[in-house]
Amino acid sequence: MAAQPEPAVQVEGAELELTGDELLVVDNVKKHFPVTRGIIFQKQIAAVKAVDGVSFTLNEGETLGIVGESGCGKSTLARCIMRLLDPTSGRIIFGGHDITRYSRAEMRPVRRQMMMIFQDPYASLNPRKRVGFIVGEPLEVHGLGTPEEVKRRVQELLEIVGLNPEHYNRFPHEFSGGQRQRIGVARALAINPKLIVCDEPVSALDVSVQAQILNLLKDLQEEFRLTYVFIAHDLNVVRHISDRVMVMYLGHAVEIAERHALYAEPKHPYTGALLSAVPIPDPDLGRARKQVVLEGDVPNPINPPSACWFHPRCPRFHAGHCDVETPLLRRVGPAHYTACHYPLERWPMSEEEIRRGAYATREPAAATE
Amino acid sequence: MALLDVKDLKTHFRTDDGIVKAVDGVSFSVEKGRTLGIVGESGSGKSVTCLTIMGLNNRRNTISSGEALWKGENLLTMSPRQLRDIRGNEIAMIFQDPMTSLNPVHTVGRQLVEAILLHQDVTKAAARARSLELLKAVGIPRAEQRIDDYPHQFSGGMRQRVMIAMALVNNPDLLIADEPTTALDVTTQAQILNLMKRLQNEFGSAIILITHDLGVVAEVADDVAVMYAARVQEEGDVRALFNRPNHPYTWGLLGSLPRLNQDVERLVQIKGQPPSLLFPPKGCRFHPRCPYVMPICRETEPELALVPEQEGLHRTRCHLDQATKDAEAQKVIAGTLAEAI
Repeated sequence: MAAQPEPAVQVEGAELELTGDELLVVDNVKKHFPVTRGIIFQKQIAAVKAVDGVSFTLNEGETLGIVGESGCGKSTLARCIMRLLDPTSGRIIFGGHDITRYSRAEMRPVRRQMMMIFQDPYASLNPRKRVGFIVGEPLEVHGLGTPEEVKRRVQELLEIVGLNPEHYNRFPHEFSGGQRQRIGVARALAINPKLIVCDEPVSALDVSVQAQILNLLKDLQEEFRLTYVFIAHDLNVVRHISDRVMVMYLGHAVEIAERHALYAEPKHPYTGALLSAVPIPDPDLGRARKQVVLEGDVPNPINPPSACWFHPRCPRFHAGHCDVETPLLRRVGPAHYTACHYPLERWPMSEEEIRRGAYATREPAAATE
Repeated sequence: MALLDVKDLKTHFRTDDGIVKAVDGVSFSVEKGRTLGIVGESGSGKSVTCLTIMGLNNRRNTISSGEALWKGENLLTMSPRQLRDIRGNEIAMIFQDPMTSLNPVHTVGRQLVEAILLHQDVTKAAARARSLELLKAVGIPRAEQRIDDYPHQFSGGMRQRVMIAMALVNNPDLLIADEPTTALDVTTQAQILNLMKRLQNEFGSAIILITHDLGVVAEVADDVAVMYAARVQEEGDVRALFNRPNHPYTWGLLGSLPRLNQDVERLVQIKGQPPSLLFPPKGCRFHPRCPYVMPICRETEPELALVPEQEGLHRTRCHLDQATKDAEAQKVIAGTLAEAI
C-alpha cells in the first residue's frame, strides 16, 4: 500500500480557511423544511433536511459544478445562495459581505451582482411577454437606463448570445428550446452580474443544442470573467465545464475536489458509483468496464439513516462504524476532501474490490481509535 | 426471417399548415433477441416511427404507407381489433415519462392485472400472482405490500420498473422502449438498463430502444439507426458505427457529447436548426447544416449505401468520398474534429 498521506484534516464549516478574496463563501449552510401536522395549531413534527451543513468557497472566474441525484438538495442550495430561500443556519458571504440576514432592501444592490439560469426554458420565460421585455426586465427593475438605452442593451445582449437582435419583438413560443435557453442566458447577463447560478441549464436540451449552450457559457465566462455555480446531474457535462466539482448526497457534500482529481481518483464510494454509472459513448470501453450498481433509492430525508447517510446503499458499508460515527469532510489530497471512513484507494475498482477494500482498511482504522 | 421488418415506412400528418412528413421512407428490421437503438434529436421522427408501428397515431389526420411486417403480417393494414390483440401482448411499449403513463387513480396491481386479463384467459387470482412475480422480477422491494400502492407512492425509478413489469406481463416478443431512462438519474438509469438487458437474456425478447443519448446506445444496443429529418441517415452494427462513423451528422452528435475520458476545450456544434418537415430541404436533408456540403448534395439525395470494407451491415447516406469520411471519423474519435460542424 502507498505511504500514509499527510494527517487528515477535519474540515468543518468553522474551520474554513478564507483568504479574503473569495467571491462566494458558503459556510455550513443548512436548510430544513418543517413538516407540520394540524390545521389551526400547526405543530412541527419533523423536518426535511434538504441541505444539511454544506460549505464551499468560490473564487472569481471559477466554476463550481454540483452533482447529485434528484432530491440531494442541489437546487435548494442554489436557491439559498441566491437568497430566494432563507437558510435555516449558516452563513453566505458574497463579495466579502455576510448577506445571510440582509433585508430585502439591503439585498437589492447585491441582486445586481448575481443571476440565475433555470432548467426548463419552456417554463422560465413568461409566454405573454415579448423577448425584449423579458431580457430587459432586470435592467428596468434596477433602474438602469432610459427605455432607449434598455432597448439598445437588449439588442446587444441578443447578439452576444447568438440570437438575431431583430427578434426583439417576438414571443418565446416562436423560438426553439435551445434559442429559449439563450434568451435565459441573455436575461442573466443583462445587468453584468459577477455570479451566475445555473440550475440544470442543459438538462432539457438535445445533445447538439446542449453543446451550443455549453460553448456559449464558456465563451461568456472568458469574455466577462463570470463565476458560475453549475448544477447538473450529468457528470459528463459537469466535468466539461467545471474547475472544481462537489458531489452531494442527501443534503451533504460527500466529496469536493478539482475536476481532474475527482474524475480520475474519486475517493467516496458514492462518487465512484456515480462515475461508473455514466454511459460511455464507446461500445468497447463501455461494455468492458464493471459497473458499481447502487441498489435502491435515495432515502427519505425526513427520516434519514443514522451516521453516514449513504451507508444503506454503500458497497463499503462497515457495520458498527459507518452507521454509528458520522464521517466528517477530511482532506485526502491537494484540495480534495471527502466524507468517508473508508475512502477508495484507487480507481477504477469493481464492486467486489470496493467491498473487499472495506475489510482491508478496517484494521488501521480500528487501531487509531 | 426478421421478427419485425419495416419497409419504406411513411407517416404524414395533415395539419393546418400543410402536410408534415414526420417519417419519410424509413426501413429497418429487428431480429429476435437483438436490440436496435434509434438515435436522433427531438423531431427527427424516431418516436413517430414506433407509434406508427404500434398503430397509436390518430387515424383521422395521419396518412401512413409502406409496410411494417410483424411475423410476416403487415401491421399497418390490420384492423384495430387485430392490432389490439398484438399490442401489449406480442409487442409492448415503455414510454418516457412513467408518471403520466400510469393511471394515478388505480393501484399498480390493478393496472398490471388489467393488462393480463385483456390478453390471457386466467382467473383474477392467477393474474395477481403473475403481477406479483413480475414486480419481484423487476426488483421492487417488498412487492407483496407495494402491489397495492398507487403510482404516486413510488419514486421515478420504481415507477419505471412498474412500467417495465407491465410491458413484460404477457412475455412480449418485442419491447419498444421510448426514451425509457431520459427522466431518470444516472444511477437509476444504470439499474433500469441492466434490468432490461437481464430480462432480454431471460425472455429472449427483441428491443427497440429510442433515445437521444449515444452513451446509452453504445452500452446496450446491438444495431443502431441514426435518424435525421424523418429519414435514417446511417445504420449498422453498434461497433462499426461508433468506431467508424460515416455521416457528418453522426460526427456532430458524437462530437457534441462531453466525455469522461477525454478533454476538449470546446464541443463540436452542429450549426443551425433541424429543418421544418413541412418543407424538407431538397437533396440531402442535412446539407443546409453540413460543413462538407458539395454542389451535388443540394440537388440529389444520396442513397443509403453500404460502407465499403466493413464487416457486418453498415450503411450510410452521404456523397462524400470514403477517404475523407474515414479521416474525419478518426478525428471524431480522437476528439479533434473542427469545432463547427
